[in-house]
Amino acid sequence: MDMEVIAGTGPRSTTKMPEPDQTGLNDSLQFNEEIHHLMTAPNENASSFTALLELPPTQAMELLHHSPDLVKPALNEELLVPPNSASVERATRFSAFAPESSPVPEDSGANLDKVKSEPAETESNPNSSSLQPLLSDPTVEIRSQRPAKRKEREKKVKGSTRKSKSAAKESCEDGEKLPYVHVRARRGQATDSHSLAERARREKINARMKLLQQLVPGCNKISGTALVLDEIINHVQSLQRQVEFLSMRLAAVNPRIDFNLDSLLAAESGSLMDSNFPSMVMPQMWPEVQVNGNRQQYQQEWHFDAVHQPVWGGEEDGHNFITPENSLLSYDSSANSASLHSNHQLKMEL
Amino acid sequence: MNNPKLLSLNSTTSLISRFTRGFIQALIRINKQRPVTSSSPREMYIRHRRIKSAADKSMALAVRSRRNWSRAVLARFRKKRRRHVLVRRITTCAMKKRGLENKKSGHKEASHGQANELRRLVPGGEAMDLCSLLEETAHYLKCLNTQVQVMRCVADSYSTI
Repeated sequence: MDMEVIAGTGPRSTTKMPEPDQTGLNDSLQFNEEIHHLMTAPNENASSFTALLELPPTQAMELLHHSPDLVKPALNEELLVPPNSASVERATRFSAFAPESSPVPEDSGANLDKVKSEPAETESNPNSSSLQPLLSDPTVEIRSQRPAKRKEREKKVKGSTRKSKSAAKESCEDGEKLPYVHVRARRGQATDSHSLAERARREKINARMKLLQQLVPGCNKISGTALVLDEIINHVQSLQRQVEFLSMRLAAVNPRIDFNLDSLLAAESGSLMDSNFPSMVMPQMWPEVQVNGNRQQYQQEWHFDAVHQPVWGGEEDGHNFITPENSLLSYDSSANSASLHSNHQLKMEL
Repeated sequence: MNNPKLLSLNSTTSLISRFTRGFIQALIRINKQRPVTSSSPREMYIRHRRIKSAADKSMALAVRSRRNWSRAVLARFRKKRRRHVLVRRITTCAMKKRGLENKKSGHKEASHGQANELRRLVPGGEAMDLCSLLEETAHYLKCLNTQVQVMRCVADSYSTI
């Protein structure tokens, strides 16, 4: 049985792809054999959690980098055996020990995770992964290498870091959904479970604050959570007030024109944003042909900003700071500003 | 607002286009219902409220239920119609619970005070922890920006023509 396991984990550790037939293996594994295997063959099993600590930093980084690429196998279903307290203890000791490759997880964490996923969350995972049934195949511990769903993971992590016993059950239930990203405690920082979880939470919040800073114009220079929050609150309030004033303005204006909705919708399908605004803005008296003819012109004049109000100027600046990770968020705003430029152009020609 | 195109294309069309379409449709409907005859303050106020709610509603519809705040806004509109008070009760319970949690943790007291203010501003923010609140705020800010820009465009087009 042991030989099977070792042989099975050998190729697996090199390919770093857990195989689907591990469930059969795990069913046959005995708990004691597992522990024995862990204790006797840490070196061969390069992919086990304990072996990770002995790997040179580059290899560890490589392993960590592979995590987003790996497809999450349906392996966690096998993690149904409750962990032994002895193994748990050992694992926690290992998780606390991280002298050599302390800079590594930070870099890899940063590379791994995009703005929205938090590197520090991975730190709390050693505890949870250690609490995971170590009895199952050691390669399963590599759950480090799978991309994780943040919220479920965080919940799970918190549960496991607080109480070891109930955590096992929680982790077993959530095991199907939750891969882990491997982390270790950073050098010189407290490694008990509470502070790890708190640190994860703090880093998550800091990541979100950075994102918000990019969205709010003029927030980049401010440092400190409280001031940034103040800025954000002010900005939200001002935007809400603007909506209110604009709706009042719209209510005051007497509409004399019926928008040609059909043409608006027809122009919408698959075309750029700038085509919408001209067709929306122009009343029915303008011939359709003129709209189409001017469309090309507007596309080239996106940068022209004759009527550049300060609000839009601020938003323009904000766009430059938006990182690729926020592309989803920023896409609409940038498209919007482009279409607004074209709108201004249209007005100038009127 | 019952345009089949609007319903089918959710992710392919951008936020702006979805919002614009809904908003303009609502505006047309409002204009048809009550043609602007008198400019009495009361009439104007009624129209103002309607237009504002149309803007908020169409923005929330453009986001569908993907976000907590849009769900809260839509729920608020539905509740207005049915006049239920359940939402308020739930949120006060959540606030009390969070008050207890804050005392326990004892960390970052100052930011909690501001976080509560942010919760008041962002719709549906009462029952959320700080992390998701910040995420919601980011998306809400983006949508507010869109809303303001579109409304400004529409208002300008109205005034110039």
